[in-house]
Amino acid sequence: MTYPRLIDDGSVWIVVIPPVIWAAHFLTCYWVAAVWCASGAAPLTPVVWAIAAITVAALGGIGWAAVVAVRRYGGLRRPGRHVSRDEPEGRKAFLGHVALLLASLNGVAVLFTALPVLVFRQC
Amino acid sequence: MPPQPRPLGGQSPPVEQAPACGVDPAKLCQGEYAIRVKSHIAVLAAPLLTGCGGRHSWLAGAGAEARIIETLFWPFLFGAAVLWLAVMALAIAAFRSRREETRGLVRAIIIGGGAIVPGIIVAALLVIGLVTLRALAAMQPGLSVQVDGEQWWWRVVYDTPAGAVVTANEIRLPRGETAELLLSSDDVIHAFWAPALGGKMDMIPGRTNRLTLTPLTPGSWGGLCAEYCGGAHAQMRFDVTVMEPAAFGDWLAAEAEPASAQALARQDGLSVFLDSGCGACHSVRGTEAAGQVGPDLTHFAARQRLGAGIAPLTDAALRRWITRTQDMKPGVEMPAYPDLSPEALDALVGFLMALK
Ligand code: HEC
Ligand SMILES: [Cu+2]
Repeated sequence: MTYPRLIDDGSVWIVVIPPVIWAAHFLTCYWVAAVWCASGAAPLTPVVWAIAAITVAALGGIGWAAVVAVRRYGGLRRPGRHVSRDEPEGRKAFLGHVALLLASLNGVAVLFTALPVLVFRQC
Repeated sequence: MPPQPRPLGGQSPPVEQAPACGVDPAKLCQGEYAIRVKSHIAVLAAPLLTGCGGRHSWLAGAGAEARIIETLFWPFLFGAAVLWLAVMALAIAAFRSRREETRGLVRAIIIGGGAIVPGIIVAALLVIGLVTLRALAAMQPGLSVQVDGEQWWWRVVYDTPAGAVVTANEIRLPRGETAELLLSSDDVIHAFWAPALGGKMDMIPGRTNRLTLTPLTPGSWGGLCAEYCGGAHAQMRFDVTVMEPAAFGDWLAAEAEPASAQALARQDGLSVFLDSGCGACHSVRGTEAAGQVGPDLTHFAARQRLGAGIAPLTDAALRRWITRTQDMKPGVEMPAYPDLSPEALDALVGFLMALK
């Protein structure tokens, strides 16, 4: 085993990536809106486009993490298979499963974060 | 004593007055016990029910904003009730179920009921809430009122073309017109809430928050501070008086004037006021009293209540306020004046009550 293992099989990083993307997206949206609104009550259109772009990028990143996770997990559903012993195969599948669930959760969270700009047209 | 019919609900009379229930007055017979329990439920429910009517009720629909919020409340309540019933039904079904093979069903319930359905519901609630917020933010104001939270009263400044009009503790608004309230604070965080008229908004030192109110029903509505702000927080109240637009215009013009000639003619009262040092904290325009620490008293007697809405403004209440301020409002940032002679107090109260 060689360290550091970043994104190769069995690495835990795949679990961390979706939440980190969500947090970065959240913070950036907040910053963009706050800076824009603090510098004068101009129309919100550029902010809407900026946040749309950030959101698409964030969803892309999370989607990629989800694809990797599905590959590790070995499909979308694996009913009936149990991980009962400490072995690399089981570890990989378990991390893939956790990463997949986190990716879907964070995908929804990113969409919720972006929703207000679609509704509001002013600061 | 003949047995008396007993009303259900409300305060039940003491047990001794019910000889029908046996020799020992300390023991209750069964019917008695049931009545007791019912009346206790009534006593417990009373505060909940009184919340549904009156000057502080957010279901009174006295303002456009309150109505917008109410249209949000009923669907939310209905949805919550439906969900609760569904979960309860599911729980009962689970207890009674005799099924052997449940793995598929459990998986469906966890994924459907644990992720998909809540996701959709939360998304729907978010969108409805945002649309409501947008409707609230879109109201176009015709009148601007600055309200500052102070420990433990409200400084109110009307922004008019002729200049600022300063008053306190009672906000008057014209019916049918949207007023913009610019909310801030000079000390700690307070929150402005007139439930019958609209939403609640924090008052934060160094910031100005904007809230609109569009009153629809004339009358006197209650308001309060909704963010704990220190000892007398619970006694930090105010009135919102909704008037017909013409009457409001007259009131605002009168409020902009200095103190009335009738009040200023009460020389002895005015000199008690000035000699006691009240003017260091209070302003009465038209006199040399120009303090900024406490509420402006120029048209004090035109208010309906005293001490930030805690008591109806009467002669007796005002005497108590001046001589035993701390008893009336523990923690208040005004010194009491217990040592004024009766004559001086009479003159002072006469002067203050003439400040129409
Ligand atoms: C140290 C400053 C100070 C002095 C001196 C002072 N007051 Fe006050 N007064 C206040 C403050 C602060 C309040 C608001 C208290 C509250 O409601 O929490 C107040 C409230 C009042 C009110 C109620 C106003 C309203 O809108 O309900 C009256 C009336 C009043 N004072 C009269 C007097 C009189 C009369 C004197 C002199 C005998 C006096 N005050 C001296 C600070 C002062
Ligand atoms: Cu408070």
